[in-house]
Amino acid sequence: MQADLFITCLIDAFFPHVGESVVRVLQRAGVEVGFPAGQTCCGQPLFNTGFRDLARSQAQRTLEVLEKTRAPIVVPSGSCAAMIRHGYLELFQEDPIWRPRAEAIAARTYEFSEFLVEVLGWEPPRRAPMSLVYHASCHLQRGLGIEAAPRLLLERACGGPLPVLESECCGFGGAFAAEHPEISAAMLARRLGQIEASVAVWVVAGDVGCLMHLEGGLRRAGSGVRCLHLAQVLDGSGESLA
Amino acid sequence: MTTAFRERVRVALANPGLQQALDRNAERRRAAWGPAFASLPDAQETRRRAAEIRRRSVAELPTLVDRFVDRVQQRGVIVHRAATAAEACSVIVTLLRERQVRRVVKAKSMLTEEIGLNRALAAAGLEVVETDLGEFIIQLRGEPPAHITAPAIHLRREEVARTFEAHLGMPYTTEVEAMTAAARRALRSKFLEAQAGISGVNFGVAKSGTLCLVTNEGNGRFVTTLPPIHIAVMGVERVVESLADLSVMLDVLPRAGTGQRRTSYVSLLQGPRREGDADGPMERHLVLVDNGRMEMRDSPLSDILACIRCGACLNACPVYQEIGGHAYGSVYPGPMGSIVSPGLWGTAAFGHLATASTLCGACRDACPVGIDLPEMLLRIRAEREEQGRPPFWMRAGMKGLAFTIGSPERFRAGLRLGRAVFRLLPRRGGWIRMLPPPLSGWTAVRDFPPLAGRPFRDRWHTLAAQPIDLEGGRLSRASEASAARPSDSSDLRSRFVGAARDIGCEVVETSWDQLPEAIAAYAEGPGTREILSCEQGPGPWRQLLTSLEDLGLNVVLAGSEGRAQPERYAGASLGLTAAVAGLADAGTLVLPSGQGRSHLASLLPPVHLAVLRAEDIGPSLEAWLPVDGHRWLAQESTMVLVSGPSRTADIEMTLTVGVHGPGRVVVFVVEKSPEAGG
Repeated sequence: MQADLFITCLIDAFFPHVGESVVRVLQRAGVEVGFPAGQTCCGQPLFNTGFRDLARSQAQRTLEVLEKTRAPIVVPSGSCAAMIRHGYLELFQEDPIWRPRAEAIAARTYEFSEFLVEVLGWEPPRRAPMSLVYHASCHLQRGLGIEAAPRLLLERACGGPLPVLESECCGFGGAFAAEHPEISAAMLARRLGQIEASVAVWVVAGDVGCLMHLEGGLRRAGSGVRCLHLAQVLDGSGESLA
Repeated sequence: MTTAFRERVRVALANPGLQQALDRNAERRRAAWGPAFASLPDAQETRRRAAEIRRRSVAELPTLVDRFVDRVQQRGVIVHRAATAAEACSVIVTLLRERQVRRVVKAKSMLTEEIGLNRALAAAGLEVVETDLGEFIIQLRGEPPAHITAPAIHLRREEVARTFEAHLGMPYTTEVEAMTAAARRALRSKFLEAQAGISGVNFGVAKSGTLCLVTNEGNGRFVTTLPPIHIAVMGVERVVESLADLSVMLDVLPRAGTGQRRTSYVSLLQGPRREGDADGPMERHLVLVDNGRMEMRDSPLSDILACIRCGACLNACPVYQEIGGHAYGSVYPGPMGSIVSPGLWGTAAFGHLATASTLCGACRDACPVGIDLPEMLLRIRAEREEQGRPPFWMRAGMKGLAFTIGSPERFRAGLRLGRAVFRLLPRRGGWIRMLPPPLSGWTAVRDFPPLAGRPFRDRWHTLAAQPIDLEGGRLSRASEASAARPSDSSDLRSRFVGAARDIGCEVVETSWDQLPEAIAAYAEGPGTREILSCEQGPGPWRQLLTSLEDLGLNVVLAGSEGRAQPERYAGASLGLTAAVAGLADAGTLVLPSGQGRSHLASLLPPVHLAVLRAEDIGPSLEAWLPVDGHRWLAQESTMVLVSGPSRTADIEMTLTVGVHGPGRVVVFVVEKSPEAGG
């Protein structure tokens, strides 16, 4: 089985360890991994702040890069996968040329855990027990409706029931955190309280956006709790988020 | 606008009482939502149908509204169409003035808040009293509602207690029941004195010309029954085609809003009181308000017209939970408000509300009619951008970002530049402690991750070349566990009894022979011998009333003088009614009005005793309303569905029974009756 990675700009620029874990996990699952050249960012920040013309050009660029591949496209982020699967269709809703192109790419784009479970049916190897709590990121859980796959993987890898935080947003929301820092901070504080109450040592999620927000808050609060991407747990690399 | 919003946000975040109240609302409402929908045989399918019904209504709105208006007029309702808020207010003021009305009672209606009706009525010198407990509280305090279904959600009981102490002259008490009782006493006389009642409308049914009003406290029933004039104010978009459609909407609205299977009262109102009817207003008016709705059909926000104002998106929203309703600065707060407000009043004034969302999608998940609220928030943001409204830093930042990510070479150069800048910033444990504006908000409470020394794109080649270590891991199809649904009992009667008890009814299973004694047992004790009864009922009803008198009860027939006279029934501590049907899905009693069937027997006394023949129990509202319900509505002017006691949770989400209607509901389920006239 072949697959091509859309690694996402956050992992590329800030969290390359996560990207390495993603590649190793896919390889272990028997996937021949490709990394289409020329990729940068899916354009979600532009789309979410309303800059649709800029977002459209970036979407076209990304579609052109991904069109050079034939295999399934794997995205280790619920948020970016949702952008390619749903956001692009909204951007090209009335475009007779780009809409079908966006649909074709959307049809073979998978979020990382979804690809492992739904497409490959892969069962991860058992890892050393870790004190985890899972954060169901909004765009993964609600935007893509992927709820079971990441939990199944984590439960198999850790060999036991997985504690899960109440399904609630961490307060990141991209530009929202800069535009409404007070509201974002209040939402973050609520989430950090839940994390502390869970007595877990690691917070795991499928989106580095949420994780950089949560870990930034945990570090500032002087907490010893740290964050990991799902792929890092499955990889068992022992590396930190950043 | 934006700075005022920011200021209100700061005030809300710094108010611990408000924070506590908001948390309580979110916690209780979210916990109730799931079980409420799980009680439907197929919740997904019901939600899908509800969504489809609303889309169909909005798509065919102009013709549907015309049909609705024709039908309502045929029922004897006087219809006024108002294009704007000002027009709606002026129609209502003129109408009340012409009839020399001075005192008005109102049931909660967000549309009347939208059009500013109370201000208009006060300016015209009319006395207006809000009768929903939450609205009553905020009217005394001179505040706008903080939530579309729970107006006083922002207040703690101590604040309500102080308000009641100051305005009602009652001693300070934080007992929710005592405060509720005080409001009941204060408002009972208002209902009796009012010359007109104003209410909203949850749904209008085009085919039958029915106005449907969904309430819990019973004030809505008073407002639409007792005063000689009733004015219903309705947004044009709230039309559905048929009673079958209405039954689906009534399955989702209370579940999404308050987590109830059915609200305590569902009033189905048609014409005014007819010759011989026990009660009802002499005139019923419908003011159909457009106020920008028809125009919204052609906008990118048209789907918000499907909204049924249940408030589920407010309860689910993590931003609303932090800042509360008043911060939004609009009659309509929360996710739906962030779309309705700019939709009705423009993005210039309200578009900034669309930025106050993380697009988490909790609202979309909670919406019972499948509105994609985040998608519409994004459209408003796009419109704002076209108008050049985002702040300068964002416009510059996004242009810079678009340029940087526009090619892999520029992306790489951007990373290099970023790393150089980041090196100058203070760090701890590798993470950045302080960023310059506009990102300083981030580092006010969080650290920011550093840019990696070598991005992923530079690590890829070595990674791909590494030998694959195939330790562990297996490929196999994951099997899906399917949850078995508990099978429905086919026994309607036991399902009805169970559902009725679930919502707080007492149920007595008895026979016609034993019924008089079973009823008389509720008249034990001092001052409880007077029973207000409907004249008409099934089975040997006359014989039943005679037997009750023989047992020493004083039976007063409601409406026997041609018109019900509520002031004469004040002494009755029991009300006796005959339900024409019982619905097993939510323990609902169906009580039509009309000749010999006064609404007051089930509304005025503190205890409501309802007789229901076992053979009249049906499975669900969905099965009953389009068939038998349709027949009843063709004959009678109004009908009410009663599900449990009158209730409210308007003070601190504390459930209290017996607000305006009865606090106790006893259902006598009677075995198949001997043949006899009624």
